[in-house]
Amino acid sequence: MDKIRKNKLAIFLFIFPAAVLFIGIIIVPIIMSAIYSFHDWDGITDMKFIGVKNYIELFTSESAGFPKTILNALLLAILSVFIQLPISLALALRISRGIKGERFFMTVFFIPVLISTVVIGQLWLKIYNPRYGILNVALETLGLDSWCHTWLGEQETALMAVFMPTLWQYVGYHMLLMYAGVKSVSPDVIEAAKIDGANGWQVSTRIIIPLLKPVIKICVIFAVTGSLKAFDMIYVLTGGGPDHASEVPSTLMVSMIFGQSRYGFGSAIAVSIIFLCFFFAIVIKRCIKTEEY
Amino acid sequence: MKFKRVISSVAATAMLAGCFTGCGKEEGSAGKSADGKIELTLWSISTESDAFHDAYEQAIKDFEASHENVKIVHETFENESYKTKIKSAVAANELPDVFFTWAGGFSQSFVDSGKVLQLDDYYKKYESELSRAAVSNLIYDGKLYGSVMCTPISVMWYNQKLFDDNGIKVPENWTEFKDACQKFIDNGVTPIGTSAKDKWVLAMLHDALTLKSVGPEKLYSVLKKEGGSYSEADFLKSAEAIKELVDMGAFIEGAAGLSNDEASAEFYRGNAAMYFTGSWMSASIRTDAENPSDFGVAPIPVINSSNAKLTDFMGGGSDSLMVAASTEHKDLSAELAFEITKGVSKYGYLSGAGIPAWQVNYDDSEVPELTKQVAKYATGATSFTLWFDTLMESEDAGEYLTFLQKLFVGSLSPKDFQSEMAKQLEK
Repeated sequence: MDKIRKNKLAIFLFIFPAAVLFIGIIIVPIIMSAIYSFHDWDGITDMKFIGVKNYIELFTSESAGFPKTILNALLLAILSVFIQLPISLALALRISRGIKGERFFMTVFFIPVLISTVVIGQLWLKIYNPRYGILNVALETLGLDSWCHTWLGEQETALMAVFMPTLWQYVGYHMLLMYAGVKSVSPDVIEAAKIDGANGWQVSTRIIIPLLKPVIKICVIFAVTGSLKAFDMIYVLTGGGPDHASEVPSTLMVSMIFGQSRYGFGSAIAVSIIFLCFFFAIVIKRCIKTEEY
Repeated sequence: MKFKRVISSVAATAMLAGCFTGCGKEEGSAGKSADGKIELTLWSISTESDAFHDAYEQAIKDFEASHENVKIVHETFENESYKTKIKSAVAANELPDVFFTWAGGFSQSFVDSGKVLQLDDYYKKYESELSRAAVSNLIYDGKLYGSVMCTPISVMWYNQKLFDDNGIKVPENWTEFKDACQKFIDNGVTPIGTSAKDKWVLAMLHDALTLKSVGPEKLYSVLKKEGGSYSEADFLKSAEAIKELVDMGAFIEGAAGLSNDEASAEFYRGNAAMYFTGSWMSASIRTDAENPSDFGVAPIPVINSSNAKLTDFMGGGSDSLMVAASTEHKDLSAELAFEITKGVSKYGYLSGAGIPAWQVNYDDSEVPELTKQVAKYATGATSFTLWFDTLMESEDAGEYLTFLQKLFVGSLSPKDFQSEMAKQLEK
């Protein structure tokens, strides 16, 4: 083993393929996006260097409304962490305690993660349809006509209407991560706690959750960065509309690049998203300290 | 070390192979084929899955039959990637003899670069079959640079049965139109199906109403920034019209959240009396509506009759063929461009794929009634104006659609909409 580690060529050979992929697919495009973001470019004709004008417009232009998209994304992140993750955790704890049909429920909760988001989006489009959607029909049957909305078509409701399925879809994903974490907690510890007189609630809160900390940290990072780059569900349901009500940074980026051929401006949004994702990932890592084993 | 050698030799072989295939292609595009025939290359976007593919093949067959010494090499590309391909081909001077392109702003730079053949002399022969209005989008600086095959237009699709049942006449001007909407609302029928989520659908109505208020020449020059301003009073009228319709509840419930598919499905089902969109809807009415015979088509009502006529249309020929100035066979290529567009116009019409730009001097009794009706409007059109989002620069077009959605949901007043548009166009 040591011999191989000292062999420079071997090190090179083993690292090279992955390094090429990593640099070619991640590092180079990021650098190129950063370069584009300093230019006025329509994707075809010559680029024109304009310095940080794109970034200035990003934060001042009212018609683009970028700051609001960041707020929307942050709201989604907050909802993910404080609503989606607790639900996932509760489900993981419940299911892992060995109930009847443990595998069945796990599969059921995980199904939304497996199905293509576009398909789920189509399903939710039907649910929200103002005329025949199950949501409005149910409200009408209950005599709550005044609660009926054009869920995706009104500025007040559109944002929450697109966030609901986004949150719902990934409950199963986080649940699976946490379930695996709970299962890996040694039964000895739990048994010892029980012998000492701990009840189920105490076992969960005092033993399992603290031991789950590394998993929870990962889940929080996934949830927050996932929220910052959320795209597919929103694109399918509203495309960011009506009037930017449900716009998030990535839908804005797509409409700028492909709708208006503003590659430079779109790249500036891309760079901002990358920056925000890194920033929050590092902040979360700092905040949730875990002991290294 | 052996590894390295293997890798480098593999890489070298790959590069060489690439080189050979590259060279092979070059050879193919030479002027003459092996059997002494003149070879003309035609680029288009009618890939196998395209609705016009068969029409192209037919037209090419016809041309080859009447020109025995000519062989057409038809190369097809996917729509989106073709846009990049054609631009780089112009830049690199690698255009084929005849190529597909879009009229109006898209081809402006091609013509400006002097790499497109001027076709006025050749056009004389076809003038009786192809109206000047149809090729108006291909006239740059007063000279003609291409030929078109279809003229899709915006029209008002309506449900004849709903109009009859409620005793309403199909409207031809704004007052009649508003009255009709009011009557429908009073009788509990949704007057207009539209989608403000797919902004282009709403734009179909607003574009046409603007045209019918401002008139074709003024509209063109303002959107192309060739004079005039969007802040003139006539432009405000169409924005106010949309606002009025929204306020009276003329649009289908939840239009801001419905996609075009969802909204048009309601129209096919008879849940809305009118739908404003392109001529292509005739095909869907035939396949998706329960009773296709209930449906009718009419031009979009006029707002200001001193500026615009009922026969002014949004739309017009955009899918075109142009001839490269660098071709070795100028006369033949020009003839090819006209003959192919004529053929595609005919076969595309007969198959129901498009509205013909060329005169219909053949039997079209097989063509469905609605398509025929639209074709009649198109051939009798007094003017064609390309849709806002095709005519304007793409950045302006994107902003326009956003402003329009804002107008629809009420976060911009018609006045603000007009001033935002004026500001955007002055940028």
